[in-house]
Amino acid sequence: MNHDGWLHALTGELHRRGLDPNLSRHVVAEAAAHLRDSGEAPLRVFGPPETYAAAVAESVGVPRPQTGRAWPDASAGVAGSAGTGRAAGSARTVRSSPGPIRLDVRGISKRYRRRPVLSGVDLTVRAGEIAAVVGANGAGKSTFLRICAGLISPDRGQVRVHGSLGYCPQSGGTNDYLYPDEHFVLVGAGRGLPRATARAAGREHAAALDWDPSGRTQARHLSGGTRQKLNLVMAALGEPDVLLLDEPYQGFDRGTYLDFWQQLWRWRSAGKAIVVVTHLLNQLDRVDTVLDLTPTREVSA
Amino acid sequence: MTKILTVAELALREILRRRSVLVILTLLPLAFYFSRREDHLGQSIRFVCLGIGWALSTAALFAGSAARGIEPRLRLSGYRPHHLHLGRLVALWTVGVGLSVPYFALIRFDQHDVRYGAIALIMMLTVAVAAPFGLALSAVVPRELEGTLVLLTVVGLQMIMDPAGAASRLLPFWFSREIGTYAIDHTDGGYLTRGLMHGIVLTLALTALVAVASGIRLRQRSHLKFM
Amino acid sequence: MDQERRGQWLRGVLDLCVLALLHRRESYGYELAQSLDATGIGPIQGGTLYPVLLRLQRTGLVTAQWREGASGPARKYYQITPAGSETLRRTTVDWDAFASGVGTILREVQTR
Repeated sequence: MNHDGWLHALTGELHRRGLDPNLSRHVVAEAAAHLRDSGEAPLRVFGPPETYAAAVAESVGVPRPQTGRAWPDASAGVAGSAGTGRAAGSARTVRSSPGPIRLDVRGISKRYRRRPVLSGVDLTVRAGEIAAVVGANGAGKSTFLRICAGLISPDRGQVRVHGSLGYCPQSGGTNDYLYPDEHFVLVGAGRGLPRATARAAGREHAAALDWDPSGRTQARHLSGGTRQKLNLVMAALGEPDVLLLDEPYQGFDRGTYLDFWQQLWRWRSAGKAIVVVTHLLNQLDRVDTVLDLTPTREVSA
Repeated sequence: MTKILTVAELALREILRRRSVLVILTLLPLAFYFSRREDHLGQSIRFVCLGIGWALSTAALFAGSAARGIEPRLRLSGYRPHHLHLGRLVALWTVGVGLSVPYFALIRFDQHDVRYGAIALIMMLTVAVAAPFGLALSAVVPRELEGTLVLLTVVGLQMIMDPAGAASRLLPFWFSREIGTYAIDHTDGGYLTRGLMHGIVLTLALTALVAVASGIRLRQRSHLKFM
Repeated sequence: MDQERRGQWLRGVLDLCVLALLHRRESYGYELAQSLDATGIGPIQGGTLYPVLLRLQRTGLVTAQWREGASGPARKYYQITPAGSETLRRTTVDWDAFASGVGTILREVQTR
């Protein structure tokens, strides 16, 4: 890694750890001065950016992130080991008790041709909760979310939403020829936001994902990860009460991935009800409810 | 109204940014025009109007297909189906008018002894019909390729079928031949009236079809209830 | 020298050594690293040194300011505070007692 790349990564890591931006700038500048003086490789002098950022954060007394808390919802299947992996970052705050029910899913069944994909699925998510939907490929995770969003109809079952809904698809959902700002204006107008407000809100959500969307780049020229950031920001625009996120982090690098979870916790603290589809089990300790859609016969096999 | 205009503005920007498609579509009517410019002036007018119709329906087809991915989420963001399809129609009609004006100017200075008012009317009706025609097509065919083939067939039939036959009235641009005859060959007003009626009926019918298709596709499903 | 043991020793005394060097005169990170290396306690990497400096700064034992050096670009210069000098003086006494105790025991091994 060259100096600039390392310093840039360090900046990101310090930001992620919630370090005061002013102090963070000094730390990076000082590291740059040292590297200039010594002429040595940053990895040799300081080690990996995330390790150095951790040491810095500890020295200046940024509180360590807390470990996650997990309990299975009684109505949902229980997925494997919800360990006590450490959540990176510091934005996590102690939460008050969960709020009123925002999303209530009862007895959803869906067949494709004659193959049952979902049978009798229930899920309840309250304000200030994150529910993870897990399951093998083809277990119907996306189908379930699309049913919750009302994009397709189930064969049986009901979905009740208390409030407004935001949906982030796995891919697509953006317009190839429009700039990010124009996407914000478009979604914002639907939510009744004036243009300037929509743009400002979009940029604010984007900043939390370490992305500056102000450039005039058409969506088709954005990288896969950046387009997913756009997708995510569009879903969150207008502050919907319920957020349905279908593996929105595809193409994210490690740093952005951490930013994404930080953002989820902030939204949770703000009282949103969040449903996120994931196949990575190491996140399960960070959520409140796990809905496992893997068919039971496969589990017992 | 703000919602319709926002959709219209952004749809217009989108179309204007498809540069290569735009260039081809703009030059297509010109090629039609000059293909008959030497031997038959009147025919070249009919062809250029057909060319505009074809170009605009193709643009509408592409715009409609491209919007499919984003429309469901816009629906969730507070748009109603009519905001979305009316906004898109307004954008396409605007493009159509922009496309027609230079061709009208071309005919105005290149051709003599024709009824210019009637030619302007043909162009207006062509634009009015072509936009919902392309959108309706994008709603019923699964992909752009199929839609393009259908458009090719329709325009081909429009060129070769006898306009006097009853079946040719089912074609979307039949009015263009009728009013064209009135404008170029100075026939009686019957041609004008028939053509005008045909154009208006088709505009309304196709717009209604677009509205119904979009309403069905973006309907609020019965299993989902907002409390 | 066993690197792991050296690391353990350093963790206990690196802040004292830094304070002592700053007691002589103000300095910046890279110069401190070089001075420490020159004393023979081994090379100190930036990844170890700067967190120590940040902690000293947070606890008010040193202050820092950015300044253009006589030659070259801006650097962050650290100065020891009166509180830092006081801590250094007290801890140096403690260290002497501690180190001489350790020395007494270890010398028996050497002389035998």
